[in-house]
Amino acid sequence: MVLRILNYLNEHSRMLKRLFFVFLALTVVFDFHAARHEPHFFGDSIIGFWSLFGVLGCLGMIVVCKGLSHVWLEKEEDYYDK
Amino acid sequence: MISSSVLIHPTTWFLMGAVLLPLLNKREKLKKTVLIGIPLIAFTLIHWLPDSFGQVSYLGFDLVFGRVDQLTRVFLHVFTIMAIIGCIYGLHIKETGQHIAAFLYVGGSLGVTLCGDYLTLFIFWELMAFASTFLVWYRKKRRSIEAGFRYLLVHTAGGLVLLAGIFLRYKNIHDLSFVQIATNGATFADYLIMIGFMLNAAVPPIHAWLPDAYPEASVTGAVFMCAFTTKTAVYVLARGFPGFEALAILGAIMTVYGVGYAAIENDARRILAYHIVSQVGYMVCGVGIGTAMAINGAISHAYAHIIYKALLFMGAGAVLEMTGISKLNELGGLYRRMPLAMIFTVIGGISISGFPLTSGFVSKSMIIAAAGESHRIGLLLMMTLAAVGTFLSVGIKLPYFIWFGKDSGVKAKDAPWNMNLAMGIAAFLCFFIGIYPDYLYKMLPFPVNYHPYTSYHLAETMQLLGFTGLGFFIMVKKLKPKAKINLDLDWFYRKGARVFMQFASRPVLSSDSWINDVYRSIGLKLTMALAKAISWFDWEGIDWTIDGSARGVVEGGNRLRSLMTGKIQHYIGGALALTFIILILVMLV
Repeated sequence: MVLRILNYLNEHSRMLKRLFFVFLALTVVFDFHAARHEPHFFGDSIIGFWSLFGVLGCLGMIVVCKGLSHVWLEKEEDYYDK
Repeated sequence: MISSSVLIHPTTWFLMGAVLLPLLNKREKLKKTVLIGIPLIAFTLIHWLPDSFGQVSYLGFDLVFGRVDQLTRVFLHVFTIMAIIGCIYGLHIKETGQHIAAFLYVGGSLGVTLCGDYLTLFIFWELMAFASTFLVWYRKKRRSIEAGFRYLLVHTAGGLVLLAGIFLRYKNIHDLSFVQIATNGATFADYLIMIGFMLNAAVPPIHAWLPDAYPEASVTGAVFMCAFTTKTAVYVLARGFPGFEALAILGAIMTVYGVGYAAIENDARRILAYHIVSQVGYMVCGVGIGTAMAINGAISHAYAHIIYKALLFMGAGAVLEMTGISKLNELGGLYRRMPLAMIFTVIGGISISGFPLTSGFVSKSMIIAAAGESHRIGLLLMMTLAAVGTFLSVGIKLPYFIWFGKDSGVKAKDAPWNMNLAMGIAAFLCFFIGIYPDYLYKMLPFPVNYHPYTSYHLAETMQLLGFTGLGFFIMVKKLKPKAKINLDLDWFYRKGARVFMQFASRPVLSSDSWINDVYRSIGLKLTMALAKAISWFDWEGIDWTIDGSARGVVEGGNRLRSLMTGKIQHYIGGALALTFIILILVMLV
């Protein structure tokens, strides 16, 4: 049963993609209506701040970490055996 | 009284189990009963523990084996639940040694949690390090043997720092009781103790033992290890060092450091190991902030983390057990063959990422909110960034490249029933805590005035997670795993040791053998010639001058030798007779 659902989803990846974008839009829309607590800092009072933080944080982390790995940290698997 | 307090201590049961198990080698059913029974007994016992028991006075030290308060109870609760889950997961393993090591390890951890003085703490602390090394070695690969030795050496070094701190502290204040240390009165000794604790919590820069050893441990060994060592360290930090600024800052750094490595690593279990560093960072940071809410957050996060991290290690372990592979670049498309493990691991992944209705949502956010309420914006942003990285690497990357992505064609089937049962229990608990957080909140040492399910928190979490997902699918090509490893600070002792060995083998060894050669060719002849000369001088020169007395001694010696029969009873008899004579003389005089 589970397998059939997963196979179905796998075959309809374009539909999933659209649903995902709808979901993203809904989270921002929801942010307009969310009751805010007393802000801890400026980010708490900007609508959609955490969306931006999420996407930029994610991209930034990939770029920085993969970059560091590529130019410096990355070694062959038998590096310590040599 | 002593005997009843021995039996009430849960560690006693695990130690008895460890002794009992080798006797049951041939009786599989009885062995399995013991394996499940002992953790169940321990789980029952901890609900009946008195506030204080097992006080022993030994060599002038007051040892306290049982000190129970709310902080102890939470950790005992999750540790014993974890022991049950871990034992179910490893039920199919035939090697009794692995079970014994696991029992000793859990026993040590419970001993640390319950003890009330530093001496008892140290003994159980070392028992944990010693027993867990065997959980690494039982993988029986060359790499794990080596990793096990490094693990043992690092923990021995950390244990010595801790011991030095304990001794200095005793010298300063003549008190070994393990209590909270005030932030303004901390001495050098206290900081040594803190460093000893921090090593086990894998705080950078002394964290590299963890991602070095855990991926090389046996499948069940890793499940046990990911739960106990670091969380026992969180417990002792929360007990002894709440409110220390160093912990708050290092903890926040840990969270980002761990996910950074998790984003670039290739081995599934190494990714999870780096994630322990990151997740324990939240707890260390919470302990460092030190407010009631932050401590509550740290403890509830430890509770939730033990369950879902074990679940993730069990999932990755199931894949390793069934396919023999744990590297992401060799896996992919497994969801068709191992659907159950896939579902459980994804549940672990969304829990660690803090999806609403899972345990991560109600525990991690508490620490972040505590940072916000203490106006520690730097800490708050670092921990939120780490949450983004967590979802990126364990929530999406790990399941994507194991179960989805390009089909690797690796042959596999679902894991044995006991593994799935253990994963099922852990997965259930992840949801249970997420849906019914009061179960966890009621156990915490401070009253909880925090509600995770507010609309703003939901909006924040959904945006963070959703847009992290977007970021992943933009960059998915860049994240394609490669068969590489990444350097970490263990480089210093792994390569540094090599430099030392080279120094030892080249200059020292070669100069040593050179000196040997010189000695053999010149020195030996020289010595022999010198000896001959001296002996000629002695015999002919000196003896002649003092009138042949040496020749006389030689002759006397020959005569004495005939008296010496060489039989030991004669000597003893002679010695006894002599003693009697002396005694009689003494008494008469």
